Amino acid sequence: MNWTNILNFSRGPLLHVAMIIFVAGLSYRLVRVLLLGWARDRAKNKGSKLWGVIVNYLKGLFVLPFIPWVRRTFRHNELTFIAGGLFHLSLFLVLVFGTAHILVWKSLWGFGWKGLPTPILAFFSAVGIISMIVLLINRLTHPVLKMLTKFPVWINWLVVFLPMITGFIMARHLWFRYEVIFSLHLISVSLLLIWVPFGRISHFLFYFFSKTIHGAQAGKRAVTP
Amino acid sequence: MKEKTIYEHLREKGLSRRDFMKLCGTIAGMMGLEFVPPVKALGKTLGPSPEEVVAQALKTKPKVPIIWLEFQDCAGCSEAISRSSSPLLSNLVLNDIAIEYHETLMAAAGFQAEKAKEECMKKYFGKYVLVVEGSPTLADDGIYCTVAGKSNLDLLKEAAAGAAAVIATGNCACFGGIPAAHPNPTRAVGVADLIKDKPVVNIPGCPAIPEVTTGTILHFLILGQLPETDQLKRPLPFYGHTVHDHCLRRPFYEAGKFAESFDDEGARKGYCLYKLGCKGPTTYNACAGLKWERGLSYPVQSGHPCLGCSEPHFWDGGGFYQGQSAPIVRLDKSSTATLVGVGVAAGAALAGLNAVKKSRAKKDLKKDQSQAAGSDPGSKKEG
Repeated sequence: MNWTNILNFSRGPLLHVAMIIFVAGLSYRLVRVLLLGWARDRAKNKGSKLWGVIVNYLKGLFVLPFIPWVRRTFRHNELTFIAGGLFHLSLFLVLVFGTAHILVWKSLWGFGWKGLPTPILAFFSAVGIISMIVLLINRLTHPVLKMLTKFPVWINWLVVFLPMITGFIMARHLWFRYEVIFSLHLISVSLLLIWVPFGRISHFLFYFFSKTIHGAQAGKRAVTP
Repeated sequence: MKEKTIYEHLREKGLSRRDFMKLCGTIAGMMGLEFVPPVKALGKTLGPSPEEVVAQALKTKPKVPIIWLEFQDCAGCSEAISRSSSPLLSNLVLNDIAIEYHETLMAAAGFQAEKAKEECMKKYFGKYVLVVEGSPTLADDGIYCTVAGKSNLDLLKEAAAGAAAVIATGNCACFGGIPAAHPNPTRAVGVADLIKDKPVVNIPGCPAIPEVTTGTILHFLILGQLPETDQLKRPLPFYGHTVHDHCLRRPFYEAGKFAESFDDEGARKGYCLYKLGCKGPTTYNACAGLKWERGLSYPVQSGHPCLGCSEPHFWDGGGFYQGQSAPIVRLDKSSTATLVGVGVAAGAALAGLNAVKKSRAKKDLKKDQSQAAGSDPGSKKEG
C-alpha cells in the first residue's frame, strides 16, 4: 500500500460512500423533522409571510452580524460571537471561493465560477483555524460550557477542524508530501460528510428551514388563537 | 581476450579526449551524481569530482549488455529513446553500451533474433541488464502476449533469471499502465509485482523520459548498482520532486491565477493549468527539469496540463481535464434522486410507525380514562 493508492481510494470509493450517506442521511433527517407535525393555523393572516421571511434573512445574515452589540447574546459572550462569526465567514469563503473547491462544485453541478485570490483565501483559512482553536479553548475553560459539553460536541469540533487544518497544510504545501496530505484531507472530509446528517452540524442546511419558518411567523399578522 | 573498455571503444570511433570529458560531465550532471550517496560505493569518498568518477568508470569497465523485452506496449518508450534529445547519450546506450536484443530496433528477425537473445543470455549470465517495456499479463497464463510462441510470463522469468538488474521502463512495465486500466481484461501488472528476487527499478512515464532511462542504465554501469529509489521503486535523482515543484507556471499557482479554458486570456498569458485538470502536484517526474526534445519543452510548458503519467493507475484517476480535487466517482442525477428517495422513504416509514404508535397510545389512554371513569362511583354522581 502506497500513498498514491490511498489517494485513489479516498478520492474514489471512500468519498463516494461518504456522499451517499450524506445525501440519504440528510433527506432522512429532513423528513423526520417535517413529519413531526404542524400546528394548524386557524387565524386569518393579515400581514405578509413572504416579507417576514425576507426581513428575517436580511437581518440574520447581513445586518445583525455586523452590528452585534445590539444583541443581548453578544453582550453576554463576545468571544463566542466573534470567533464563531469569523469561523462561519471563513468556512463559507474557503468552501465557495477556494479554487480546488470550485473544481469539486464544477464536477458535481457542471458549472464553476471565479475563485478569490490565493493570499486572501490563505488569510481567511488561517482566521478560521484560529477561531476554531479559540472556541475549543473557551469550551475547555468556561465553567458552564464545560458542564454543558457532551461527547458528540467534541466529535463535531474534531470532524470540522480536521478538514480545515489538513486543507490549509495542503494548500500551503507545508511539511507533507502532497499526496499524503491530500489523502488525509479527503479522509477527514469523508468523515465529516458521514457525521453531518447524524450530528448538529446538519444546521448548515436546517438553519435555512428554521429561518424561513420563523420569518413566516414573524411576518404573520393575526390574532393568536 | 580481454574485453574492450567503453573508453577504448569510444576512442576507436574517433571520440577525442576533450569530447570524452565533456560526455562524462554531461552524464554526471544528468545523473545528479554530486548529491547521490552511492558515489561511496566505488570505495571512494567524494574526493574526485563526479566527472572523474564517471570517466574512471568508463575507462575501466567493459560494456554492459542490455536485453530489452517488450510486452503489452506501444513501443513509445523505445521510440522516445531512439529520438532522445541528447544524441551523445542515446548513442552511447544504443551503440556503445550495447543493446543486444531489442525486438523493435534490431535488424535481425525471427529465429535469428531469438537465437541472438539466447546466446547473449548464456554469454553474459548474471551480468546483463534486463529492460522491460510494456506490462506482463497474468490472465490465462499470459497467453494474451506471446513472442516466438512463448508466453510473456515465461519470457520474463527466463530473462530475469540471469539478469544483474531489471529496469522497468514506461508506466505499463512499472504499474500496468493503459493495459491495466479498468477493467484490465488481461490482468496486466507491473514487472516488480512478478520479479521479487532481483533488484528492480521503475522508470514510469508515458513514455518514460529517455534521459531518465539512459541515466539509470548509466548509473548501473558507472556505480555498479541501481540508484536509490522511493516507495514505488523510482530512482530518487529523477523522481524526487513533483512536476508541480519545479513547474515554470508555479508563480501563477501561488498567485491564484488560473487558465479557465485552453483558449482564454489566462492560457495565452501562461497562467497555471490546475483548473484544466493538471495532476502536477501529485506527479513525481523529471519533466520540468530535463524536458523533452533537447530541453525544448514539456507538456505543461506547451500549454497542456500534466496527466500524471508516472503515477500508478493514472488512467483510472478521474478525467484528464477534470480538476484534481474533484471526486473520481461522481454522484449523478439519477443516483442522487434514488438516495434522496431512500432517505425520504426511511424517514416517512419511521414517522408512520411513530404515528401508529402514538394513535394507539392515545386510544389506550382514552380507554383507560373511560374505564377509570366507569369504575369510579364518585365521578358518576357528579356527571
